[in-house]
Amino acid sequence: MNMSSPSSSFGKASDSEAASKSAAASAASGGVQVTTFTELVDEVTLHFQIIHLAKQIYVWIGSDSAKLGNLYAAAPTRPNNSVSVTSILGGASDNTGSGIARRLVLKTGLNIIVACNIPKNNPMLEANAEKKLMEKLITLGYSRPKSRSPGA
Amino acid sequence: MGGLEQRFPVPLKNFSVEIKGNNTDLVICRYDDHFLVMATQIGTMGTILHARKEEGVTVEPTFNVSVILGKRDEPMLLAITRQLIENISSSGSSMPLVLSLGLKDHSTETLKGIVSAVVENRLW
Repeated sequence: MNMSSPSSSFGKASDSEAASKSAAASAASGGVQVTTFTELVDEVTLHFQIIHLAKQIYVWIGSDSAKLGNLYAAAPTRPNNSVSVTSILGGASDNTGSGIARRLVLKTGLNIIVACNIPKNNPMLEANAEKKLMEKLITLGYSRPKSRSPGA
Repeated sequence: MGGLEQRFPVPLKNFSVEIKGNNTDLVICRYDDHFLVMATQIGTMGTILHARKEEGVTVEPTFNVSVILGKRDEPMLLAITRQLIENISSSGSSMPLVLSLGLKDHSTETLKGIVSAVVENRLW
């Protein structure tokens, strides 16, 4: 199944006062499109991996190690446009990442699987990771069109 | 300071095969503590399974294979998972496997096709 979504592949690393370096790579060599990038946020290196399937996306967020982390499944839920999230691996005693999964679905309307391996008890880091991820998803063309018409 | 020349820390293979007339997209990733394999013919991850090796006291390891999201009544999915974790184990790795299978049919031919495509392109 070939996806014809625009692939943003640029590979520049730039220094900026905001101390955020990013090198993004996007490969669609046969099969699905995979986007990987690394950002330095508040002196923590975050790695992101996005696998785009036709009707679902898989996201991995890693920091110091490349462990898989906690796995969550999240999707929009009718009838109220609310979101359901469930932990499917890990996450028994900490739910770092479940909030990210929930808010990604809220903002994009996508069906998402999130694997999150960032240190727990660090809400700032979680929020920054989510922000970077959301920025990238918007760049790639995923965002829920805002519709404010009543009764729609 | 020049560019950050670090390679992305997760090796990944991304390819397609045709199995019984169905285009099948496969992705294989190697994390530090898991292998992730996705095989889809339907545009979603489908059913997600988990497999791990349990080293017993005796010489032979046993394997624990289970569905963590999705179809729990399709034994073919468990069979694929079991074949792959055994392959991982006999290649010398003890890492567990997360496998996603979004398949249009659950025939033996598809099972063999998936297993051989993954093993041919394994990262273990």
